[in-house]
Amino acid sequence: MITSPLESLSQLSRTLPTGTPTTDVEDGVDPVTETSGRPVAAAVDDVRKTYYLGEPVHALDGVSLTLPAGSFTAVMGPSGSGKSTLLNLFGCLDTPDEGTVEIGGEVASELSEAERARVRGTRIGFVFQGFDLLPRLTAVENVALPMVFHGRQGSDRHDRARGLLERVGLGDRLDHVPTELSGGQRQRVAIARALANDPAILLADEPTGNLDTETGERIMGLFRDLNGEETTILMVTHERHIADHADRIVHLLDGRIEEVEGLDPNERGGRPRPDPEDRVDGSGGGS
Amino acid sequence: MNLRECLRIGWRSITSHKLRSTLTTLGVILGVAAVITFMVLGGGFSQSVVGEIEAEQEPVMTVHTQTDPPDGFGVMLVDTPIYTESDVEALEELEGVEWVAPEGSIGLAQTEYDDERVTGVVEGQATTPDRFEHDEFVDGEPFDWADEAVVSERVNDAFEGNLSAGEELTVTFEDGEERTVTVAGVVDDDLGGQSPPLVYLPVDEHHETTIETPDGDREPVYQSLVVGVESLGDVDPAQDAVTDYLAEESDASELKEDDDEIAVQTIEDAVEQFDDLVGQLTAFIGAVAAIALVVGSIGIANIMIVSVTERTREIGIMKAVGARRRDVMQLFLVESVILGLIGAVVGVLVGLGVGYLGVTLLEWPMVYPIDWIVIAIVVGVGVGVGSGLYPAWRGARVDPIEALRHE
Repeated sequence: MITSPLESLSQLSRTLPTGTPTTDVEDGVDPVTETSGRPVAAAVDDVRKTYYLGEPVHALDGVSLTLPAGSFTAVMGPSGSGKSTLLNLFGCLDTPDEGTVEIGGEVASELSEAERARVRGTRIGFVFQGFDLLPRLTAVENVALPMVFHGRQGSDRHDRARGLLERVGLGDRLDHVPTELSGGQRQRVAIARALANDPAILLADEPTGNLDTETGERIMGLFRDLNGEETTILMVTHERHIADHADRIVHLLDGRIEEVEGLDPNERGGRPRPDPEDRVDGSGGGS
Repeated sequence: MNLRECLRIGWRSITSHKLRSTLTTLGVILGVAAVITFMVLGGGFSQSVVGEIEAEQEPVMTVHTQTDPPDGFGVMLVDTPIYTESDVEALEELEGVEWVAPEGSIGLAQTEYDDERVTGVVEGQATTPDRFEHDEFVDGEPFDWADEAVVSERVNDAFEGNLSAGEELTVTFEDGEERTVTVAGVVDDDLGGQSPPLVYLPVDEHHETTIETPDGDREPVYQSLVVGVESLGDVDPAQDAVTDYLAEESDASELKEDDDEIAVQTIEDAVEQFDDLVGQLTAFIGAVAAIALVVGSIGIANIMIVSVTERTREIGIMKAVGARRRDVMQLFLVESVILGLIGAVVGVLVGLGVGYLGVTLLEWPMVYPIDWIVIAIVVGVGVGVGSGLYPAWRGARVDPIEALRHE
């Protein structure tokens, strides 16, 4: 299960030497849209987004990016480079001025507000820097929330939420409210919530930004486990060692893709993949 | 999003701000409680007066003079005597009329019974034995000669005694004349505790007020009349005949003041008029109390707007995990409806409680104003919807991107 995407990823990294500027099409393979034959989880095509804050600001100025199913992409760039706007487009929170956004086969710009809400609820999972759990709901209820909006049955919802929390190692914290959880635990609840409706793509905005290094690494370990289980991940970060956990890093600058950097899967995160033994240990870690 | 889940989440957020929620609903509670209390008191008062009368329908009507009071609320009785002896005789001749009993007040300075004297409390009334035909006697029977009297049951209250037929009572008239009379009967003619203690004396012996009639004669004149009708079936035509006569041909119509009105009422009419009056009064007070409801609904709207602003980020999260506009709208609306409903329900309970306390103290019967309770609950929900609509709409159109940037 884990090996086949890894194989294709290693092929990808072979054709794309690390650090080589790759915005140009080389040998007929466009690294930005190339999927190595895997299905497309989500893609943006030549999207532009301009904000008018006194004068026009080109947040995105012609960006194309394809996320193959099961891929793990990090987006880096200085502030104002368009990272968040790109994430919002993939998250169906925003629509582009030009270009198309496609999530799991649906073209977002053609959808109504309510349909975009449905796509957000069913195809996309969000993980935020501030965890953003609803403070009055318990862990299980927070995880069940997307299923509530999606109209899933109560007991069914509860069972699935419990299963997801166990999967992220919080089986013993089901009925705790966020204030009773550590930062790392809260982020795990947020990740479990993001997975609630079996999304096509998991979007993470600085998921380790509010965590200490050790907890951050554990969360990244969880991301990699999820990625190993075929979850497609798009993560915005400004920390190199966090971005190193991905298959590839997209560098944005002034609303354009400056560089796409493929990473050697065997050296992701600066160290080999963790043994299954010390994967999710349930202790979460403090913040 | 299904309603149950919505209720659960709304309830959670209400209970997590207990003090705020309590203060918010207080306005509605007070408003509803005030309305319900007044309706219970009004209903109880009405019942206490009217309750026993409605049971017994009698072929009797009263004739009295009334006018619109200067403050324009309800009616005021006029006690100028205008009904002359000729009027009494003429009325007795009318179709369906069995008898006409005049009522003239007699000034009593003092009343003495069993060595106890009271001054000014007991009033005297001159009338004829016919007047008591449909009244219920607790003891004895109507007087039939000069030195007898009938007393109303409430005279017992004045003396804290228990008068019965055959006992003696000494009355002192305003001119100082003293007279000892034998109690012939004790009558229960009390309309819900509203009439004063009365000593009824034979009209022939004790009534001295006279007036010059429009024809130039001097005749006895009375404040009011009681008209006995032959049967219940004759009441309506007799009432019309009496009304017509009094309005057009009587001495009374000439003697009355221009603004005064001669009222011919059956007991039902009197009850109706009384109910109307109490109804107007309670509605007026209720309307004042309803202002509290308006204030309450503004309170809810205010707190919901604060709540939407406070939870902007939460709205952003909910939208990010798939909440539609209508889900967010529903969530806030449900919350404000819960607040309004709780306010109304608690208000109804408090109102019934205070009302119960009130009627118990005043010894009126307890009345459950079902229609007003239903209105209060509907208004409570309405207040919730009305005051939640705008905040919920604002919440629903929060831009998730902005919201997620919001700290």
